[in-house]
Amino acid sequence: MIRLEKVTVAYGEQIVLDAIDLEIPTGKTMVILGESGSGKTTILKCVLGTLHPVSGRVLANNQDIGKLDEEGLLRFRQRMGMVFQEGALFDSLTVGENVAFWLWEHTALPDDKVEERVRTLLRFVGLEASIDQKPSDLSGGMRRRVAIARAMAAEDPAFMLYDEPTTGLDPFTSKSICDLMRRVQREFKSTNIVVTHDLTDAYRVGDLFTFIKDAKVIATGTRQEIEHSADPFIQTFLSLDS
Amino acid sequence: MAWRASPFRNSCAMPVKRIFLFLTGFLVTVQDFTVMVGRSFRYLFVHFRLRESLLEMDRLGVGSIPIVFLANLFAGLDMALQFSVVMAPYGASNLLGRVVATSIIRDMGPVLASLVMSARVTAGITSELGMMATTQQIEALLVMGVDPVDRLIAPKILAGMVMLPVLSVVGDLLGVLAGLMVAEFGAHVPGPLYWSGVRSALTLPNLVNGMLKPFVFGFILVAVGCFYGLRTTGGAQGVGRATTKAVVYAAIWILVANFLISKFLIDVWGWKL
Repeated sequence: MIRLEKVTVAYGEQIVLDAIDLEIPTGKTMVILGESGSGKTTILKCVLGTLHPVSGRVLANNQDIGKLDEEGLLRFRQRMGMVFQEGALFDSLTVGENVAFWLWEHTALPDDKVEERVRTLLRFVGLEASIDQKPSDLSGGMRRRVAIARAMAAEDPAFMLYDEPTTGLDPFTSKSICDLMRRVQREFKSTNIVVTHDLTDAYRVGDLFTFIKDAKVIATGTRQEIEHSADPFIQTFLSLDS
Repeated sequence: MAWRASPFRNSCAMPVKRIFLFLTGFLVTVQDFTVMVGRSFRYLFVHFRLRESLLEMDRLGVGSIPIVFLANLFAGLDMALQFSVVMAPYGASNLLGRVVATSIIRDMGPVLASLVMSARVTAGITSELGMMATTQQIEALLVMGVDPVDRLIAPKILAGMVMLPVLSVVGDLLGVLAGLMVAEFGAHVPGPLYWSGVRSALTLPNLVNGMLKPFVFGFILVAVGCFYGLRTTGGAQGVGRATTKAVVYAAIWILVANFLISKFLIDVWGWKL
């Protein structure tokens, strides 16, 4: 479970998140929706511990992330998978090396075992044939798939975070990425946070939905609850997307 | 509102505010740099990465051999030529070998190798780390539970401190050999006389000078490159800005350190030649 309690984040005098409360139950996928610049990605940064709130606290499985020191944070993140907007693959490494990176860093597995795991993960995302290619040789969709495989390399990722995983992709590729995200959740029973502004993709992957506006959470709930919200911003958002 | 009139505008407090902001910015920069360097050295002792260090030594050091050699070759040629012209009227051509070797070992060799390397290595490191920072690759490392200072910075700093002295020594040798060519064929100083001068310049103070400087310069050119690379923001333009800044600062700090080390070795230890 991930819980944000009265979390406030500010860049200088600009408040990005204003005392927000959010709870993502274990094994569920929470989709965070909102306009660009509304603070969606900031929530992910707080959960990762790369950004410290001005006030409030972030709990992951009842562990206060703000109380962890640098080494504790690094250890905590080892059970976390993150898929960045553009993949953020290491461009000096091949696809296989990108996926193997976590295993090289945190396990003492022999090379043949690492390769076996890398091939399994790449097969899972349908890219085993690209194992020796460089990220620059891949399309946007393929890069996201590799990023998902890399995020899964931790043997049991308890939390998976996705930052706009389908932005800039065509509808077919977007759907395949969403299907893949669903499969990942089924496989690892992880707690997921997905940041997006695409409602179609949100409905494909989400169990719960949160709307952020003006640094505040304006609604949280299931698809039905969101669709029946009386908030004019949400109604406009839903109508524009449909 | 962001565009509202500042209370400092058109007032005598404005310069004070600027000085205050500059000083706090400078102190924060010094603090961040010190923390990065401190953590790098800590990782070198508690989590030494042999493979990455060797790879960096190959990239930083072996890859720089041609330019360092070329720079030292022509510096040696030019220095011998200039000294022979200046010394000949005083009948001091027999000291040519000693003067050329002393200049190259104590100052020109390490400084030249470092400045040439800063153009290649500092720029390369800053742009590489800058691109990683702007494409979230540094963040990806953190998310995977890997400290970028451990994985990227510490091996580079070690490589700089090991490889620059090595390159500097070989470059010194090449510079001295280039001087021999000028001595033999241009200044008509016999080879054995030139060599005996070179041998007399191989004193302990000169050798310590010649090894300590590239060791420190190697640290400076890599650490400055890493520091500005990690702080890069603002896409391709930001990478360009950070790279320019890193190369300029590395060159300045190398020259400052060169003077301070010379001063320290000459004054404090009382070493002359």
